[in-house]
Order: sequence, then C-alpha cells, then structure tokens
Amino acid sequence: MNTFFNALALAVIAIYMVLILYLLRMKKLYLKYALLWLLTGGVMVVLVLFPQLLQWFFVLCGIEVFSNGLFAVLVFFILLILLALTSIVSNLSERNRRLTQIIALLEKRVRELEDKENEQIQR
Amino acid sequence: MFLKTDPGKVTEKMRVLVIVPAYNEQNNITAAINSINNAAASLKDEIEYLVVDDCSRDGTLGILREGKRNYISLPVNLGIGGGVQSGYLYALENCFDVAVQIDGDGQHDPFYLDNVLDPIRKDEADVVIGSRFLNGDGFQSSALRRIGIKFLSGVIGCVCGVKIKDVTSGFRAVNHKGISFFAHNYAQDYPEPEAIVMCAKKKFRIKEVPVIMKERQGGESSISPMRSVYYMIKVTIAVVFAAFLRI
Repeated sequence: MNTFFNALALAVIAIYMVLILYLLRMKKLYLKYALLWLLTGGVMVVLVLFPQLLQWFFVLCGIEVFSNGLFAVLVFFILLILLALTSIVSNLSERNRRLTQIIALLEKRVRELEDKENEQIQR
Repeated sequence: MFLKTDPGKVTEKMRVLVIVPAYNEQNNITAAINSINNAAASLKDEIEYLVVDDCSRDGTLGILREGKRNYISLPVNLGIGGGVQSGYLYALENCFDVAVQIDGDGQHDPFYLDNVLDPIRKDEADVVIGSRFLNGDGFQSSALRRIGIKFLSGVIGCVCGVKIKDVTSGFRAVNHKGISFFAHNYAQDYPEPEAIVMCAKKKFRIKEVPVIMKERQGGESSISPMRSVYYMIKVTIAVVFAAFLRI
C-alpha cells in the first residue's frame, strides 16, 4: 500500500478520534459507551500501520480476497456495537418503567393527602 | 419491608386487591368498577380495587378522577405488562394477601371472583387462572384464536411441563408469594403466557378454575386481527425464551 493512502487513512481516523474526544469533553457521550468506539479507532490505527497483521490473519482463516476479509471484520465490529446499544436501550427502558410505576404510586399518595387536607380545611 | 399480616398464614378473611388495567376504557370502566363492588359485597373477604390507567388518550382518567375512584395513573404508556405490574407493586407496598387481575373491558365477570380466590384461601395454589375453556360455557373466542391458544398451551406444556388450557386468560389471582414475585419480575409485551412459564420455573402451584367470560363490551382489544400472526410468533419465542430466563 502506498504512503499517500496510509496518510489519508490515518487522517480520517484522527478526525474520528477527535470527534469522539470532543463529544466526551462536551459530555454528549458517556465514557463507558465511548470505550468500544475508541477501541475500534485503536484497532484501525494498528491495521493501517501494520496491514501485514490482517493479511497474516486472513491467510490463517483461508480468506483469499483481502477486501472480503476487511468487510467481514467491519460488519462484525458494527454488529458488536449495535448489540451493545440494544442492551443499553433495554436497560434504560427497564429503569424507565420502574420510574413510571413509582411516580404513579407516589402521585396517588400525594393526591390522597391533598384531598384529606382539603377536607380538613373545609371543616 | 415490614408486613401488617403474616403472608404465610391463611386467615379467614383475606385482604384482596383487584387490579383493573385500563387503556382507553371510558365506556366500560364505571360498569367494571360497579360490578367488582357488587361482587365484593357478597364475599366475606376484604376486597379493594385499583384501576391502573395506562395513560389513556380518552376520558378514562377524567371519569376516574371525578368519581373519586381508587386509581393510579401512569404518566407514560407502559403497555399491559408494565400497567399490571404497577398494580402488583401497589399490592406489595400495601400488604395485600391476594391480588386478582381483571380486565377493565367487561370480559371478565367479577361474579367469579370467589372461584379464583377459593384455591388460594384453601392454600391449594399460589397462582389461580380463570379459564373459559374448562367447562366450555360462555364466550369462547373465535375459532382461529382458539387454535392459537391451543398451540401456545402446547408450547408452554412442552417447555415447563404445566398443562394450562386458557394460557392467555388475564383473569388470575395470586397469593402473597406471587405478588412479590410479579412486583419485581413481570413479562412486558404480552405477559399472560410468559407469566405462566415464569411461575412454573419458580415452582409455584398453578391451578386453573372454570369461569365464564363475556365478549368485550366496547373499546378496542389490545391485539388487533392484523397483529395476530405477529403476536403468535412473538409470544411463542417469548415463551420458549422465558424457560431459559434466570430468575
């Protein structure tokens, strides 16, 4: 692979990492959710600098066309991140549900207390 | 949490909470509450009802508020599972001995409350399901739905070894053990069949008793015909997965 292409790839990855760090700094992204994204960035850097690593891995797996292997790895990473996101959403809706239920129960208690108070005032 | 009554003890007079989940039931809810009150008058148990308004978009909440009914109102729509679960949470917080679920659309006749309460009173079961198929009287649902229910019943029998005929019946009673379990673990989307599997996994004693159901009095069913096929697939998967859930 030529040097120009390598430099371009590194520049794109740098923009990607800066974007993540910016979002982290502005508190638009929690670190625990960003870790997977940062890891992906790190893996990409390593692969751009040492493409023979990937080649060696593909030969080991019996993948003949380099780009096919690259896409397979890409899809795998995206699936992993999507799975993590779905799990986060499930967890959030679980918490959301419990909050809603507790609010409804509290609303009933407040309403009954207010009714009782109004009755006492009227007396 | 401290309990006013000893949950394990079977007393002569049980404190029963009737949970009535309601979503857009402005035409049925008053009749449902009245029939519960009528049925309660003839029973020796101490019976209270709680309507769970699942963020209805019609006048249900207004009717409940003006009538000074005993209700809770969910600030966002949670669906039948989350709604009913709030009822169990309320039952747990207020130390009820038994919780009964009755749909707010008039399909379930509170006249049969005693039928579902009896096995719990005698400590023969932890979970009692009111079944429309045991005696075959009253509204039996459409042929297609009966086939679907039979299939689900078979699936549930396979995964957890309990034979229940009316697996989608929402007319059920649970004792204190069931209340505290459901307050913390309750299936969300189409919870009735899944709850049976989870109860079987918890080794709860499940009993089915005959009741007579009516055709719904008004409003719309939570399962439209369009969604029936999707419902069947989803519930089947949910039931099979429930068998693998860690509880």
